[in-house]
Amino acid sequence: MAKTLKSVLADAGIPMDFESGGQAPETLTDREITREPHPRVQKLKDIFMESLSSASNEFPYWYTREYMLHDSEVPVIRRAKALKSAFSHSTPVIFPGELLTMRKAPYVRGSFPMPWLSEGFYMAKEDEFYQEALKRGSASVDEHSKFGQGGGNVPQSFGKVISIAGKFGIRQEEVPALLKLAKLWFGKSVDDLGNKYEQMVPGYETKEKIMRNIVCMFDSGFTLPQGREVINYYYPLEYGFDGIIKIAKEMKAKVAGRADGDGMVGMNRLYNYEAVIHVIEGVQNWILNYAKEAARLEALETCARQKKEYREMAERLEWIAHNPPRTFIEAFQMIETVHIAALNEDAISGLAPGRIGQVLYPYFEQDIAAGRITEDEVIELLELDRVYKTSIDCFASVGVVGGVLSGNTFNTVSIGGLDKNGRSAVNRLEYLILEAGATNAMPQSTLALLYDEKLPEDFLMLAMEVIKTGAGYPAFMNTPIAQEFLVNQYGHEGMDSEEARAWAIGGCLETSPCTWKPLHLNGREYWIPGGAGQPTSVGVHFVSMPKVLELTLFNGIDQNTGEKVYEPHNRSLDTYEALEEQFKKYWKETVGVLTLTNNIQHDIWRKNNMAIFSSLLKPDCLDNGHLINELGYRYNATFNVESTGTITFVNSMAALKKMVYEDRELNLEEMKTALKENFGFRDAHEINSFSLADQEKRDDSDNRWDKLHFKALQSPKYGNDDHYADSILLEWENFFCPDCKNYESLYGHTMYPCQISVSTHGAMGSATIASPDGRLSGTTFADASLSAYPGTDKNGPFALLNSATVWDHSMSQNCQLNIKVHPSAINGHEGAKKLLDLTRAYMRKGGFHIQYNIVDSKVLKAAQEHPENYRDLMVRVAGFTQYWVEIGKGVQDELIARTEYEGV
Amino acid sequence: MEKLTYRDTRNYAPIDVTKGMDLLTREIVMADAEAPEGYEPIPKCKLCTNFTGTDTFMGTCEASMNEPKFIAYPDMVATTCEMYQAM
Ligand code: SF4
Repeated sequence: MAKTLKSVLADAGIPMDFESGGQAPETLTDREITREPHPRVQKLKDIFMESLSSASNEFPYWYTREYMLHDSEVPVIRRAKALKSAFSHSTPVIFPGELLTMRKAPYVRGSFPMPWLSEGFYMAKEDEFYQEALKRGSASVDEHSKFGQGGGNVPQSFGKVISIAGKFGIRQEEVPALLKLAKLWFGKSVDDLGNKYEQMVPGYETKEKIMRNIVCMFDSGFTLPQGREVINYYYPLEYGFDGIIKIAKEMKAKVAGRADGDGMVGMNRLYNYEAVIHVIEGVQNWILNYAKEAARLEALETCARQKKEYREMAERLEWIAHNPPRTFIEAFQMIETVHIAALNEDAISGLAPGRIGQVLYPYFEQDIAAGRITEDEVIELLELDRVYKTSIDCFASVGVVGGVLSGNTFNTVSIGGLDKNGRSAVNRLEYLILEAGATNAMPQSTLALLYDEKLPEDFLMLAMEVIKTGAGYPAFMNTPIAQEFLVNQYGHEGMDSEEARAWAIGGCLETSPCTWKPLHLNGREYWIPGGAGQPTSVGVHFVSMPKVLELTLFNGIDQNTGEKVYEPHNRSLDTYEALEEQFKKYWKETVGVLTLTNNIQHDIWRKNNMAIFSSLLKPDCLDNGHLINELGYRYNATFNVESTGTITFVNSMAALKKMVYEDRELNLEEMKTALKENFGFRDAHEINSFSLADQEKRDDSDNRWDKLHFKALQSPKYGNDDHYADSILLEWENFFCPDCKNYESLYGHTMYPCQISVSTHGAMGSATIASPDGRLSGTTFADASLSAYPGTDKNGPFALLNSATVWDHSMSQNCQLNIKVHPSAINGHEGAKKLLDLTRAYMRKGGFHIQYNIVDSKVLKAAQEHPENYRDLMVRVAGFTQYWVEIGKGVQDELIARTEYEGV
Repeated sequence: MEKLTYRDTRNYAPIDVTKGMDLLTREIVMADAEAPEGYEPIPKCKLCTNFTGTDTFMGTCEASMNEPKFIAYPDMVATTCEMYQAM
C-alpha cells in the first residue's frame, strides 16, 4: 500500500500531531451533557430524522401560470400577482402533535425550484440548458461540490423518485411539468437575462474563466439574491395583516399621481403599495388554507386532546391571518408564518429570525404573569421551533447548496446584546432559548450570543453548558466590535451608537444593521429590535485566495485545467514584494470584474423579481413607499467581498517568504515544479480523502520532493503567536479591508469585507493544486477565516487567540475562529468556567467570533466509517452547525484533522 | 372501485416523496402503498373535468385564462384550486 503523508513524516521523526495540550483518552468519549426534548417534540423530530429533502412543483406552477398571464402589467404588480397565486394555491400539510405550523412546501423538508431566478442547473446534464450553465461557469463548481451521502439528502434517483440538483428528490410524476415550467423561463430568468447584459462588461471573458476555474465560488444575483440578513417581524406583530393592508390603502391614496419631488421613482410608490396588498392577500389565503385544513383534521379526529389542539390551531390561524397576535403562542405562530412566507418569496439562505427572545418577550412576560402559559410550555414551543427551522431547505444548485452551504439555511437566532439604552438585553425568555437549544439539539436555529461585558455571568455559564452538549452553539460574537463596524459602514445612512445596539447576526455570522421599533401590547410599550438592512453577503462571493496565489505564481494559468484565466503578468517575481504586488493586482482585477457582473445580475433581479413581502417587513418601506429595489430599506450599504482560504494563503506566503526569498533554499521555479508535482503525492481525488495526513505517495515517487515538503510543512505557521506568519495576516487585512471600499454596489454604496468560508474551503480546496505551505493538491483549505490549519497550531489556545487578533476585527463585517476541544478537557463546572475564560479572553483582545466543536476526533472517524450509527451527530463548520452525515467529505476530513485541544 | 394509493388520498400527510403518515392510524406508510378501502380520494388535476390530455404526466388546464391554455399535470393536488370540478 502507498505510504500516507502521516507515515512518511513519522518515518522522518516528524510527528503529525493533531492533539495539543495533552493526550486524549483512548476510548471514545461522548459529550458530557445530553438532554431530551418533550415527547411530542421527540415524535416530530423522529419524523424529521427520517424525512428526505423533497421538491414540489406546486409553487412554481401557480407562480408561472399567473406571471405569464400578465405580460403587459407593471413589473412589480405582475410579480405580486404571481406570488399571490402561488401562496393561495400552496397545499397545507399538518401533522398530529404540532402546535405551530405552516411549511414551505407540502413535505416536512419541502422546497421548490424558482425557474424565474435560474433554471439551467437542474436540467439533465445532457440538456442544452445545463451545458450552457456549464459554459458560463455557473455549473462547473458543482463538479467540486459534494453533499454528505446520508441524512435527508437524495444524491441518487431511486424507484419513483428522481434526484435533482444532487440533493432533492422529486416524484417522477412531476418531472415533465418541472422541465416544461423551467423551459418557459428560458431567456427570461434572472440568470439568463443577467447573462445577456453582463456580457457587455469589459472583462466578461475573464469573469467566465474565473467562475469556470473556481477562483470564485458562485454568482450572486440569481443564486441566493436575498438572505444572510435579519428579518423584521414588527409590522405584522404591531398591526396584523389587515392593519398593513389598511396602511397600504391609505398610503395609496396619498401618493397616487404624485412624484413629491422625486421625478425618478416617486410615482412608483402607488404600484408598490398595490403590490404589497396583493402579496399580503396571498399570504392571508395561505394561512386560511392551513386553518381550513386544521378544521378538517379536527372533524376527522377521534382523540379528544388532539381534536382540541386542531381546533385551537385553526382558531389561531384564523386570528393571525387578519389581526395582531394577543398571546405568546399566537405571536410565535405569526413569526413562524412570516418567516416561511419570506423564504417562499425568493431563493434565500440565511434569513435570521434575529433576537426573537426580545421580540417575543412582551407576550411571554404578560402570559406568564397572567398564568396563560408556563415556562415548561414555552420551552416545548421553543423546541418545536427548532424542528421547524431545521426542516427548512433551500432549493439551489449543488455548488451553492452543497459546496457552499452544506445544506444549511442559517436561520440564526441571536441572544444577549444590549438594549436601546445600553443595558444588558438578556431576559428570562433567552435563558429558555438556551435551555431549548440543549434539550432539543438540532442544527437550526444556530444560536449567536452577542457578547458584552455587561451580560450576566449565570447566562454566560448556561451558554457554556449548552456548548458542552456539542451542539456547536451558541457562538460568541463581540458586541462592541460589531457596533464599531456598523457605525463606520452605515454612519452615512444614519446609523448611530443607539441604533447599532439593535444589531443581530444575519445568516451564520454577518453583522447586520437593525433598528428599534415600539411594540404595543395591552397598553404597554416595548422597544424591540429587528432587521433594517438589505441582504448582506451579496455582491462578490467567495474568492479563493490560494487559487489567486496559484495563478500569480503560474503567470495567470490554472494548473488544473490549463486555462489562461488572467492575462499573463510575465514578471519574474524575484522579490517577495513583487509577488505580493502581483497577487494584489490579480485580486483587484477579480473583485473588480465580479462587482460589475454581479451588479448587473442584481439589477435584473430588482427589475423583475424584487422582494415585496420581505420589503414590507423592513423599515422604512411601508413609510416611504419604496421597496428594496428603490432603496426603501433604511440601510443599503450591505454588499460585500467574500474571501476564502485566508490562513492557507497566509501560511503559503510565509513559506515562500522564508524558503524562497529570505533563506534562498530554493528558487521560485523549483517551488513551482514541486507544487505541480504535488510534492510526489497523488491527487486527493484519486484516494477520495481530502485531509492532508491521509494523502498517499505516488507509486513512481522517487522521494525527490520530501525534504522540500518537510520544510514547507515546518515553515512558520499562523496560530502560534509567531509574528513571522501573523504579520502576513496583518498586512493582508490592512490591504483587503480598505480595498473593498474601492468597489461600488448597484445601490451606489461602497462594499466591505466578509470573511467566512461556510463550506467553500472544501470545494475550493478540491479545485486547487498544492500550495507552498505544504498543503497537497485537492485537499481542503483551513476552515473559516481564522481557524488554524489542522495540526499547525502547536502553542496552545491562547497563542492561537493572539495570532487571530493581530489585526483590527472592526474593519470587517466578520471573521471566524473555530476551535476543536476534546470533551474531557472541559469536564464539570470548572471545565465550563475555563471555557468561558478562554472565550472572554478572546473577546477582550478584540476577537469578533469564536466557537467550539466539543467532540472526540475518534467519534468523527467512527461516524465517517459508520454514518448509519451517527444520524444525529452534529458538528460546527465555519459559522454553522450541521448534521455530520449531511456535509461533504472534504469538509468532514478537515474537521477530523483539525487540532484537538486536550486542555484549555 | 379502483384501489387508491396513499398519496392519492386525503387521509395521508406526506412526509417526503416516498412516505407519509396515515392520519387515521398514525402509522408511517409508503406513498405508493395501497390505502385501505374507504379512504377519501384527494382532489388532483387528473380527477378534474377541466383537465385534458392523454400523456401520462402532462396535460392542459382548460380553465386557465392563458392563451394558449396553460399546462397542467395529472398528479397536482387541487385542494386549493378554486376551479376544480370533480368528475
Ligand atoms: S381547474 Fe385546477 S384542478 Fe382542474 S385541471 Fe385546472 S388546475 Fe387542475
